[in-house]
Amino acid sequence: MLSIQNLKAEIEGKEILKGINLEVKPGEVHAIMGPNGSGKSTLASVLAGRDIFKVTGGKVIFKGKNLLELSPEERSREGIFLAFQYPVEIPGVSITNFMRAALDQHRIHRGLEPMNASEFLRYMKEKKALVELDAKLEGRSVNVGFSGGEKKKNEVFQMAMLEPDLAILDETDSGLDIDALKVVANGVNKLKTKDNATIVITHYQRLLDYIVPDIIHVLYNGRIVKTGGKELALELEKHGYDEIKKQADKMF
Amino acid sequence: MKDTKNENIIFADLYKNETDFLIKETEKKKYVEEFLKSKIPDGKKENWRKFNSKPIFRHKYKLGKKAELDFNTIKSMSFFNPDANRIVLINGFFNEKLSFRKNEEIILTSTKKAKIEYPEIFYSHFRKIKNNDKTFFDALNESFSQDGAFIFVPDNISVKEPIHILHFIISSNGNIFSQTENIIIAGKNSSLKIIHSYHSLSRDFSFNNGRTDIFAGKNSATEYYIFEGEGDTAAHINNINTEQEKNSYLKSNIVTFCGSTVRNNFKIKLNEEHAKTEIEGIYMPDKEQYIDNFVEISHLKSNCESKQLFKGVIDNRAISVFTGKVYVAPGAQKTNSEQSNKNLLLTDYAKAYSRPQLEIYADDVACSHGSTTGQLDDEALFYMRTRGIPEKQAKTMLTSAFLKDIIENISTESYKDYVNFLINGRLKGQNPETLCSVKLCPSCT
Repeated sequence: MLSIQNLKAEIEGKEILKGINLEVKPGEVHAIMGPNGSGKSTLASVLAGRDIFKVTGGKVIFKGKNLLELSPEERSREGIFLAFQYPVEIPGVSITNFMRAALDQHRIHRGLEPMNASEFLRYMKEKKALVELDAKLEGRSVNVGFSGGEKKKNEVFQMAMLEPDLAILDETDSGLDIDALKVVANGVNKLKTKDNATIVITHYQRLLDYIVPDIIHVLYNGRIVKTGGKELALELEKHGYDEIKKQADKMF
Repeated sequence: MKDTKNENIIFADLYKNETDFLIKETEKKKYVEEFLKSKIPDGKKENWRKFNSKPIFRHKYKLGKKAELDFNTIKSMSFFNPDANRIVLINGFFNEKLSFRKNEEIILTSTKKAKIEYPEIFYSHFRKIKNNDKTFFDALNESFSQDGAFIFVPDNISVKEPIHILHFIISSNGNIFSQTENIIIAGKNSSLKIIHSYHSLSRDFSFNNGRTDIFAGKNSATEYYIFEGEGDTAAHINNINTEQEKNSYLKSNIVTFCGSTVRNNFKIKLNEEHAKTEIEGIYMPDKEQYIDNFVEISHLKSNCESKQLFKGVIDNRAISVFTGKVYVAPGAQKTNSEQSNKNLLLTDYAKAYSRPQLEIYADDVACSHGSTTGQLDDEALFYMRTRGIPEKQAKTMLTSAFLKDIIENISTESYKDYVNFLINGRLKGQNPETLCSVKLCPSCT
C-alpha cells in the first residue's frame, strides 16, 4: 500500500529525514517510536503534504501513485488520513460544515453523489457513536473549546467519517489520561479492517498496550535504525533509547 | 493637477441654475461663502490620514436629476419586502410613486416635503447636530443639499418591519454627482429598524456625498443597517451623525461591499446617561478600491456604553483604513467602551491601516481596544486540506468564518441572507461589480 524509499526532507536548510525506508501492507499496524526530535512528526507531516518541509530525495508510492506529486487534499481523497498531534482550532467553521465539505469531496472522488442533509446527519451520528464521541458537536466550531481528550476523539471521529486506507496517528496519546486513551484506542481498533493500514507514531510504549502493532520501527536522527516485532516496545520500555542511540551513532 | 479652489467653483457651478435648497434662501450666501473657503481633506489632516481624493476629482460630473425606475427592478432584490415601509431616492431625489408608507402613525417622506409639511419637527432637528470639523464635503452638502429621506417615529411607537431606504444612481449618459440629507428621528420609547441601501445601475462614474442625522430619543431602540454596494465606479462620502438621549440604544451596522473610494464618517454622541451604542462594520475592498471607516464616539455623560467591531477582508491592491476614536468627557464616569478592528489581507499587496484613538478625561472608566491584521491561518488551511477540502474552498470557509459574528448579528433574516450571498459570491471569485447590481440576487429569475 505504502512504499517509502530513501525519503529525505529538510526544513529551512536543516535535514530532518535522512533516508527513510518503510513498507506498509494492507491490514498492518506499524508503530514508529523514537526519542524527541528524531523526525517522527516530520515524517507524518511530509506524508500528509505539509509544504513547509522540502523533500530533497527519495520516493513515496501510495497505492501505485507517486504521493509526493499530490496536494494535501488529493492525498486525503486517495485515502491518507493524518490525526494531528495538535488538532487545529477553527473558530467560525462548524464541525458539521467542515465534515460535510470534506465528505462531499471524498464521495465525489469515489464517484458517489454527495449525501443530502438528513443522510449526512444520520451518518455523522453513527460514526460519533462508533468512536464514543459523546460531546455535542452541532453548532460548535472545529476544536474550539474542546478539551485535550475531546480534540483527540474528534480526530478519530473524522477518521471514522472519511474511512481512510492509511491512517497516520501522530502522538495521539500525548496529553491523554488513561480513560481517554482507551476510548481513542478503542475507536482506532474498531475502524481497523484487513484492507486498511495504520501507522502509530508515539514516544511511549503506553499506547501500544491498546493499539497492538505488527511491526515496530525505531526512528532516530532521521533514520529508521531498528525494526522488530511488538516485543521491541517492551525492550525500549525497559532500557530506554540509550542503547539504540549508541549503536546508531556508531553506524552513521 | 487642479487645485482645491477650482473644485469648489466647479461644484458650486453645478448648482448655478438650481433652486429649492433645504437651507433658507436667506442663509444661502453665508453657506456658499463657507463652502468656497472649505478645503478638500488630504492625507495630512489628522482625521483623514491616508485619504486620497484624486480618484473622486479625476472625473467631471453632472448633477443627478430626478428619474424614474421600474418597480420590478426594485422588487427583484432578494431582501426587498414589498409590504414594508420604504423610501426610494433616485439620484438623490425622493420618488413618491415608488415609496410606500405602511404604518399610518409614522412620518415617512422626503426632507424637502418635511420642511414644508412638518416645519416644527423639521426645524427642531435640521442641522441641530453640530460639526466642529467641517471639510469640503460637509460644506458642499450643507450648502446645496436639496432632498433626502425623512423618517419620524413618534413617542411610544414600535415599527416591527425594517424601514427600507433605497438609493439608486441612474444615469443614461455621463458621470453623476448626487447628495442627500436624511433625517431619522426615533421618539421616546419608540423602536425601529432601518435598512439603508445604496445601489448604482449605471456604468458611468458616480459620486455620492450624503449626510444622515439620527436622533435617538429617551428609551428608544434603533437598529440602523447600511449597505454600500454601488460598484466599482462609485465614490461615496457618507456622513452619519447621531445623538442619543438617556437610556437609548442604537445599533449601527455597515457593510461596504465595493466602491472606488468610500469614506464613512460616523460621529456618535452619547448626550445623556445610560445611552448605549453598538457599531459593527464589514468592508471588502478589491482591485484598487479604497474603503475608509472613521468612527468617533463621544461619551459626554456618565454610565454610557459603546462597542465598536469592524472587520475587513482586503483583496488585490486595495486599501482599507479604520479609525476608531473614543472621547470621554470630563465627568463621564463609569464609561464602558470597547473597540476591535480585525483585518484579513488576501494578497501581499493589500493594505490595512488601523488607528485606535482614545481621548479620556475621566478617571473611572473601562476602555479597551484591540487590532489585528494578518493573513489566513496556514495551520487551519493545511488541516482542512488534509481532510480533502480544496484549498480555494478552505480559504472561502475561513474568510467567511472570520466575518461570521458580524453577519450573525444582523437581525433581519432576508437582509442577512443577502449579505451572506454577496460575501460568499465574492469569496468564490464572482465579479463583485455584477454582484453589487440589484439585478443579480438569489431569488431573481
